[in-house]
Amino acid sequence: MSRIAPKIMKESLLSPPLAGFLSLIVPGLGQILTGFWQRGFLIMVSAASMAGILQWRIADLGRRAGTGWPAFLRALHRRPMFVSIVIFCLLAIWILSARDAWIGARDRRKRFSGIFLFVLLGFFIQGWNIAEIDPVKLVTQAPEALPPLSKIMWPWKAAVTYDEDNLVGKAIILDVPEGDETSPPPRPPEVEGEPYLRVDPNIGRMSARDENNEIVPGTRITLTGSNFAPETETEIWWKDALGNVFRPREAGKYLFVTTDSKGSFKVELTMPYQLMPPSAEKKAYEHIIEARQVFKVGPPMASEALRLTMARMVETIFMGMMATIFGIIMAIPVSFLAARNIMSGSKITMAVYYLTRTILNIIRSIEPLIWALIAVVWVGLGPFAGIVALTLHSIAALGKLYSEAIESIDPGPIEAIEATGATRLQVILFGVIPQMISPFISFSIYRWDINVRMSTVIGLVGGGGIGFLLVQYIRLLDYRSAGIAVWFIAVTVAILDYTSAEIRNRML
Amino acid sequence: MLEYKSLSKTYPDGTEALRNVSFEVEDGEFLIIIGLSGSGKSTLLRCTNRLIDPSGGSILWDGTDIAALGPKELRPIRRKIGMVFQHFNLVKRMSVLNNVLAGRLGYVGNSSSFLYRFPKEDQEKAHRALKRVGLTEQTWKRASELSGGQQQRVGIARALMQEPRVILADEPVASLDPVLAHTILGYLEQLNREDGITVICSLHYLDLVQRYATRVIGLRDGEVVYRGTGEDIRRMTDQEFKEIYGEEAERVSAGPVDLPAGGEA
Repeated sequence: MSRIAPKIMKESLLSPPLAGFLSLIVPGLGQILTGFWQRGFLIMVSAASMAGILQWRIADLGRRAGTGWPAFLRALHRRPMFVSIVIFCLLAIWILSARDAWIGARDRRKRFSGIFLFVLLGFFIQGWNIAEIDPVKLVTQAPEALPPLSKIMWPWKAAVTYDEDNLVGKAIILDVPEGDETSPPPRPPEVEGEPYLRVDPNIGRMSARDENNEIVPGTRITLTGSNFAPETETEIWWKDALGNVFRPREAGKYLFVTTDSKGSFKVELTMPYQLMPPSAEKKAYEHIIEARQVFKVGPPMASEALRLTMARMVETIFMGMMATIFGIIMAIPVSFLAARNIMSGSKITMAVYYLTRTILNIIRSIEPLIWALIAVVWVGLGPFAGIVALTLHSIAALGKLYSEAIESIDPGPIEAIEATGATRLQVILFGVIPQMISPFISFSIYRWDINVRMSTVIGLVGGGGIGFLLVQYIRLLDYRSAGIAVWFIAVTVAILDYTSAEIRNRML
Repeated sequence: MLEYKSLSKTYPDGTEALRNVSFEVEDGEFLIIIGLSGSGKSTLLRCTNRLIDPSGGSILWDGTDIAALGPKELRPIRRKIGMVFQHFNLVKRMSVLNNVLAGRLGYVGNSSSFLYRFPKEDQEKAHRALKRVGLTEQTWKRASELSGGQQQRVGIARALMQEPRVILADEPVASLDPVLAHTILGYLEQLNREDGITVICSLHYLDLVQRYATRVIGLRDGEVVYRGTGEDIRRMTDQEFKEIYGEEAERVSAGPVDLPAGGEA
């Protein structure tokens, strides 16, 4: 059965050599003039855009070397594979197109030629270059992704906190300027049962910088603690004369000691560096050194991150719910306007039908995220913006689904109910609603599911909900808290997904 | 008595479904309408309870012209005319009981049906109607769970709930297999004989016609081309047959006639 359409069997306008020659001048021209205009047009557009893109990439890659030939050489040097493969493809398309035009003009049956393989290859390589695809990064940069990723995967350390109880011992030290003859301050008496910290000497000089900005180390001091909790990590804190509290470092590390079995310790440190304001009076200043032991006491409590996440999750679920409810309420009347069987009465109603359908399609084709951006400008940051965005999208999506349910209504039962002598209202109650209720409920639940899922991301652009929190945590590099949010989103969405699928299965 | 007087119906697209149809139906008759698809059978039945508004002529029912009634006066007339459909036309998602109860809608007010509730006596009546068609066991099932024959019996029970004087049956067995056809028509015959309900039924199978009809009307292109009794069908001449079913049609057998060629498209 070789039935060939007469249009294709028509004689060529051109001789084969001429067709080939024309395609050699402009790829595709020969095909267009021999009657394969679609094929020729496709070849022409492909070749032109591929050449155009190559030129742009070469200019971009070689811009440091100027323009023209030097730029090309530089581009070839930087991306030899890309430039050479694309040029090869272009040449192949050019030559094959001429050959294709020649053969096409001679024998008008359709046949396979490799042109479009090279078109595909050329665009693939260009796409690789333009999109900066670099699979090697997936491996080489993986170690950097691991710490945040592992924190996100298992964030529960950040989910609990405890009340803290401190055991603190204090000692006073005087920072005296050179030549000052102030005598050391009296040491506080040791109290039985209270932790005691002793500093020796209790007078000295802070680290400072000289005229050459070189560090002049301060006095070495020894801290001796007793009566602390045994075998416990103890942090050393410094409270300077200005009231700044900080942890001094020794060799770049925060200083801490572990008490021995009797609750005593001994540690040496250099008095830390302090920048005094130039206006500061040259006199002795009193600094306080603290040794602190921190204990977790009481039951574990939900951390702030966990509490915030839960609150936002609830907000998110309700955002989805409210948007769905508003969407349903508004989609029902709209769906009647968008149902062909209801609106097919007259030209005016058909016009309304087409108008409604068009508006619904436009609203639906704009992503809820974009609607959220608009809504944030409209009503300000927060969950209401998210609800506005989701409601708009829900009206459009539900309006379409509902109207299709209305269109697929079976007129038979309606006729039967009418025949019993029922009133119009009774016909609707018994003939129409029972047929629509199940698709309506099923679509609405599905929409709620989608809306909750969408409201988790809508916060990313300021539309409230858990996405708002998540993006904050990620920007603060607080990956553990972000992980908690991610977990909550995943679990909630999974539960909703399962429940809504289950309910819909039961309905059908 | 129902009197159709030069009834005609022209659809908006210009199709003349009925032209000048006149005949009478005595109370208690089992009238069967035969004819090809598109000959106007369904239109004729639907004009009787005004699911379709006729464009000319009148339908007198004990002196009242059904064709001229307004919506308000139509309700009491409609509820006295039950209807059974080819595709059963049950509300598939409702229970069998509620489908049967829907037959009472012509009697109850809007307010009570808002809650899908019916008076107690209606509920008892529905159970009796279901018992009568042998579907007591299926009362609480969804209509969609029933087989075709069972669904049609629900359709009959629904019509019965209207306490009708007339039942219109639009090809009630066309979607059922031949064995079930006898069951369904048997129920209609029972209602016709025991309750004295007039039955107007359109059918395709001539052997069924001759078995159940007390009178027969043949329609072709919206005109009455044949009038006879069930007994007459047996003696129908080829000439008469061709008048109803067209020149090309052939009778399959001389005796009880099967589906005529070109009968059901």
